[in-house]
Amino acid sequence: MDQRLQNTHVKLLAFDLLSLTQTPSLSTYDPIIFTRKNTTISRIEILGIVTSRELKPNKFLKFTIDDGTGCVTCVLWLNQLTSPYFSRRNPANVKLIADMAAHFASEIKIGVVARVRGRIAGYRGAVQVTVFDVVLERDPNVEAFHWLDCIRLARNCYNVVAGGAV
Amino acid sequence: MEAMAIKHGELVTLEELNPSSPFFKEGASVRVTGRKWYLYLKEGFDFGLVQWGCVERGFGDEGLMVKSCTSKGVLCLLRRLQEYTVETAIAVVADGNATLKIDTQHLRDISFRIGSIYQLIGELLIQPDNEAILQARVGRIVDGIDLSLYHQSLQLLRQFQADHLNNSTS
Repeated sequence: MDQRLQNTHVKLLAFDLLSLTQTPSLSTYDPIIFTRKNTTISRIEILGIVTSRELKPNKFLKFTIDDGTGCVTCVLWLNQLTSPYFSRRNPANVKLIADMAAHFASEIKIGVVARVRGRIAGYRGAVQVTVFDVVLERDPNVEAFHWLDCIRLARNCYNVVAGGAV
Repeated sequence: MEAMAIKHGELVTLEELNPSSPFFKEGASVRVTGRKWYLYLKEGFDFGLVQWGCVERGFGDEGLMVKSCTSKGVLCLLRRLQEYTVETAIAVVADGNATLKIDTQHLRDISFRIGSIYQLIGELLIQPDNEAILQARVGRIVDGIDLSLYHQSLQLLRQFQADHLNNSTS
């Protein structure tokens, strides 16, 4: 299995992301391994229009990104101040993370174009993204540039394996 | 219970939305881009609020009529306004010679301005006379978009998707 993209935020179109191969693993952090053409992918960057938004206050914000090729479900966690996962970390840092997540959540509105980075996760067999950060895009041409970027990267980088392009 | 999955809006141009197109289907989720052309208004609408470059009014046999001048100087004649109520708020967007009616009633936080370019996602409703109306659920203003770049990029995107599909099935 090719691990070169393991720590890279891979730019994928939604249809490509949603068709990744899922393999169960023994790791508790990554219970599912996602692969694309025998290359492991764990981090992702997507861009598209926010088409739904479901807020569970102090728990999470679930939203969907539609990039014209598919809809990707994203989950932005908002439970940093109450989750045991953060209990051993520096409270000041946790507060910063919580504030940043709350800020991202306030920016996610239906109709905006958002660039989302995060970790690929599986939920009930479907692919979803655990959000690290969000950037709102205001340039109306940015989606077309993102499509071209994804196409170029897929052809020249992600599809290229040791034996050449696949 | 898990919410029903939201379908993505298939990227289509207005010219592709004709009855012979594979995209022209009842309930099809599409995303269209076009310039706001005009808005059907209910009878009694206060024309003093309209900020159009050119608006004429008449009260002919067919009812209250509105003529508007588009940004390209094309004179268009709207249909009888009585066919529409304020609740149905039908807008029309255009790209080149193609137009599409948009049902805007589910859109929030978006203002409709004549001449602005809009991107809308929703489901197609095919009427008995074979005319389509997009029931928009998401909309945004994309003034400043390079439509030529958009259309060329869309063709490249479709080609890439087709190649990807062929490679994964072969």
